[in-house]
Amino acid sequence: MPTHAAPAVEARGLTKRYGDFEAVRAIDFSIARQECFGFLGVNGAGKTSTMKMIYCRTTKTSGRLDVFGMDAAAHPREIKARIGVVTQDNALDPELTAAENVMVYASFFGITGATARAKTAALLRTMNLEGKERARIAELSGGMKRRVAIARALVNDPEMLVLDEPTTGLDPQARLAVWQQLLDFRARGITLVMTSHYMEEAARLCDRLVIMDDGRILAEGTPRSLIEQFAAPEVLELIGIDLGALRVPLDGLVRRQERHGEITYLYTDDNAALLAHLASSGISAPQHVARPATLEDVFLNLTGRELAE
Amino acid sequence: MNPLAAIFHRNAWNVFRRDFMAWQKYAFSSVAINIFEPMAWFLAIGFGLGAYLTLGKSSLVQFIAPGMLGLAALNAATFDACWGAYERLNFNGVYESMVTAPVDPLEIAAGEYLWQAFRATLYGAIFLVVIAGFGLVHSWWCLLSLPLLALCGILFAMPGLAVAFLVKTQEHLFYYFSFVTTPMAMIGGVFFPLDKLPHWLQNIAWCTPLYHSVQIFRALISGALTPNLLWDLLWLIVAIALLAYVPVPFLRNKLAR
Ligand SMILES: Nc1ncnc2c1ncn2[C@@H]1O[C@H](COP(=O)(O)OP(=O)(O)O)[C@@H](O)[C@H]1O
Ligand SMILES: [Mg+2]
Repeated sequence: MPTHAAPAVEARGLTKRYGDFEAVRAIDFSIARQECFGFLGVNGAGKTSTMKMIYCRTTKTSGRLDVFGMDAAAHPREIKARIGVVTQDNALDPELTAAENVMVYASFFGITGATARAKTAALLRTMNLEGKERARIAELSGGMKRRVAIARALVNDPEMLVLDEPTTGLDPQARLAVWQQLLDFRARGITLVMTSHYMEEAARLCDRLVIMDDGRILAEGTPRSLIEQFAAPEVLELIGIDLGALRVPLDGLVRRQERHGEITYLYTDDNAALLAHLASSGISAPQHVARPATLEDVFLNLTGRELAE
Repeated sequence: MNPLAAIFHRNAWNVFRRDFMAWQKYAFSSVAINIFEPMAWFLAIGFGLGAYLTLGKSSLVQFIAPGMLGLAALNAATFDACWGAYERLNFNGVYESMVTAPVDPLEIAAGEYLWQAFRATLYGAIFLVVIAGFGLVHSWWCLLSLPLLALCGILFAMPGLAVAFLVKTQEHLFYYFSFVTTPMAMIGGVFFPLDKLPHWLQNIAWCTPLYHSVQIFRALISGALTPNLLWDLLWLIVAIALLAYVPVPFLRNKLAR
């Protein structure tokens, strides 16, 4: 099996249907070893369905999906032995303690007895859960539960971690703690595959990401290249001013312009130059927000600023 | 692979161990609940009603006592195979996390068979001790009821798990209790001999696993063994071999969603 040269995950025309409904529509992507790869999208975009196919929980309807060079539908056992999975809902066993959760899971990888106990203690320590070993899951906060789930996913020393919305529902401190852990794993050479609907999270953690909407991939690249391609380095938000109505010439300073409600969004290379130009055109000291562009702008440009539902 | 062969897979024992670890935390209440109710039936019918009735040379309580072993196995395995497994599948994410590890649903089913075998053996053994205490056990053959209890646990687990893996809501489990297990307990030869029942009802009784297990339990407790019992044993073994496959596709289907 060509498991060494192969990318961590490779998908071509990957499609998942539930009955008549197409949740993932012929997507292509390739995840390199040791990178952090993100799937960004709103609820219902098809992120979880894609993750489930990668970690061999469910099988594709059509297309190709290889993990470590092996067909995911044909080699679930081999693939599962080499990856760690954190599902969207943690799937922690509420009838067991934190440590028992990790130990039982370890047993499915053939790790038992003293080895399992030592490994469990070490992993819970890494995830800052000392003193919580004997706590029932219901006694833990959302952030702690998530960390137990991550500790459990690490028990087989996975080459790749698949995390479905690892920080959704966590408070800001807990989210920071998870981010720090994920950055550590990445530094240790573990391939990370994650989903998120937080743009900031994806921008911080992911080497590369795709933006998913309605089962399709709309764009792919590094956070920086996506901003370059689908937004601009900077954004000027003008409040209550309709430039179109004022017929102000923008002299090529604005790459792209949008208006939503009372706000006009101007995508530009240089906010200072743009503001100076507006002042010279008679719009002095407008009510505005000048800021660098973010993935959020990319996302909204690609999927539209209106509420879909 | 055959689900019975999967009983020897390491993962089946890991699933068993998980169930045991969870059960340990509420073992006392679980035993109390599973023993108290059948015990009340046993005392009320055996001694209460039995005071007014005799069955030839034997007393009603003597008749019922071995039947309680079959009933204990039925209750112990059915309750957890239905209610417990439904929660492990649908509420607690227990199976969901197992299949993110290299575990096949087949091994989960096999592990649950083992676990229900344990429950049936334990709760049945407690009953054995109780009826021995009442002086209702007359033979050392009674020790063979322990492996028979394990066999019954596996057998009763299979349809229970199939139902748990099939139904859409937990309330639907009551259909199985009301239409299958409770009537089976009534006509399975636990509480009264079947020879005065209409023929068609006797035929239905013959189709239940409880009937065959109770025939054997009764012989093991009294010591009056006959070669005919081998047919009852064969019936149980064939039923296990056939039913072993049934829950697996339902579980596989639910977990692949
Ligand atoms: N098991 C399922 N059966 C039917 N529809 C499903 C199932 N799982 C997901 N879907 C549907 O597929 C779409 C994508 O869902 P999902 O992959 O969970 O997206 P995301 O994780 O991005 O929110 C949604 O519209 C969802 O309702
Ligand atoms: Mg999701």
